[in-house]
Amino acid sequence: MRSALGWVAAAVLLSAVAFFLSGYYNDVYRKLLLWIALALSYNFLFGISGQVAFSHFAFYGIGAYAVVIFLFQLGMPLPLAILAGVLVCSAIALIVAIPSTRLEGFYLALATLALAQLFIVVLNEGGAVTGGTGGLVNYRLPAIFGVYITGPWYTAVIVILVLGTYALLRHLDRSWFGRACRAVRDNPEAAAAMGVNVARTKVIAFTLTSVLAGIAGMVYAFVDNTVNPPIFGLENAFLLLFMVIIGGSGRHAGAIVGAVLLYLLPFVLSPLIGHHHALVFGALMVVVILLQPRGLIGLYDRYPRGQKAH
Amino acid sequence: MTDILEARKLTKRFGGLTAVSELSFAVREREILGLIGPNGAGKSTTFNIIAGAYRADSGEISFLREPIAGLPPHEIARRGVMRTFQHNLPFEGMSVLENVLVGAHTRFGGNLFSRKAAAEEREQHAHAERLVEFVGLGELRYASVDRLSFGQGRLLEIARALAGAPKLILFDEPAAGLTRAEAQRIATVIRGIAERGIAVLLIEHDMHFLLPLAHRVVVLNFGAKIAEGTPDEVRSHPAVLDAYLGHAAAV
Repeated sequence: MRSALGWVAAAVLLSAVAFFLSGYYNDVYRKLLLWIALALSYNFLFGISGQVAFSHFAFYGIGAYAVVIFLFQLGMPLPLAILAGVLVCSAIALIVAIPSTRLEGFYLALATLALAQLFIVVLNEGGAVTGGTGGLVNYRLPAIFGVYITGPWYTAVIVILVLGTYALLRHLDRSWFGRACRAVRDNPEAAAAMGVNVARTKVIAFTLTSVLAGIAGMVYAFVDNTVNPPIFGLENAFLLLFMVIIGGSGRHAGAIVGAVLLYLLPFVLSPLIGHHHALVFGALMVVVILLQPRGLIGLYDRYPRGQKAH
Repeated sequence: MTDILEARKLTKRFGGLTAVSELSFAVREREILGLIGPNGAGKSTTFNIIAGAYRADSGEISFLREPIAGLPPHEIARRGVMRTFQHNLPFEGMSVLENVLVGAHTRFGGNLFSRKAAAEEREQHAHAERLVEFVGLGELRYASVDRLSFGQGRLLEIARALAGAPKLILFDEPAAGLTRAEAQRIATVIRGIAERGIAVLLIEHDMHFLLPLAHRVVVLNFGAKIAEGTPDEVRSHPAVLDAYLGHAAAV
């Protein structure tokens, strides 16, 4: 009961922020929240399950395109379009995961890289269905019970997405399922000897996190009210990887810290060095891997203990 | 006493080499059965076949009267056969207690969101704490596993295997790489496991460790059984003395 109250308070607080932000900053805030949602689910896939996949951002795109196509090209009602979007993401995730998780991790990386590239090709070549290179524009979120959710109220929807993603992943992480995922990551042979079905655990983790990315994509579709191929390029798949590693792989707080830092850093850096912030990210990545493999959250963990020693 | 695990005519070849040949033996309820033999006798191969890591070319294995040969390792664990690893394979990113909780994987009901799930988690947590205490790692329960010595790592292997509430536990050379004192500690723990009513199958090439511990012994050489009996019977068996020539004087 008390924890339920905590979640409600967090939702109210994080949503309230949106009502004090102007249009531009509200947009920045919404995208920051979406990056946090993506980093949280990617952390479960990469950091907790130990699966090196580059398809996470593609699933974000698949979710976004799917909901728009189902709503406006096929004329489905919103709940059905969301359900269909989830089914599409699940089906694609299963097609990729079932064969590749049975092989070494390297093959999953290759298969997901191929999926991410193929997705962009399909978007560009999709003709009227995907809108080709121009993507799909001029649509808006349908009314829900006669109400159009806009402005800071839509930001509240994104807040609920982030908190829902976090609550679900945290619950899973603390359960036997989360332990099985980490066991498979650390030592598949020993995990199997403990009764963990290694292949099934990997497939479930991959599919679940990919669907979460897809759902985030569906929410994103009504942030910019346009979906087009350049948005879902491969560089964002690497940005997610950077966020999780720099923040602290395997830790929810790490994913959040990494997402906040790497999303906001270009706003600070751009006036100074233009679009060369990728260089800074790369350098940061090297420094973290060499000096603090547990990421920034690992530094935080060490700090209070260092104080006690004095 | 009834047999809990029965192996019948197991054969495993690697290319031209026959590692295990027509091997039959049984583990009885509540006993510590030792499987010994010089290096290359086929002990590890037999162990891996039972644990599901290798598939036998022919032969049958039944556990509690059900066939288990050819099942994957996780299915064998699910049926109540847990194992330890000779080289210690902990889950590096987890604490001692979390490692033991992974061992309890098969004891969870499945539904993650029911009201029962939280109670189940608490129950297994308490059980894992007791097991960590039982093997003598209580002080280190929240420690990261990289802080454990090799001998402590071996104790963790045992606690983790016990967490699955096995009916049979397989030990892969549990004394290998340990000091004499550590090996004695392991022997005490293994006796405690047998006293809890769990059958133990132990493979070992160190006779000094095994003979005082085992209730019965099966001796392998070149993949075949050359003797079987109580430690005393085996100790004076001519074929065993022959196979262990050099070691034999020390036995």
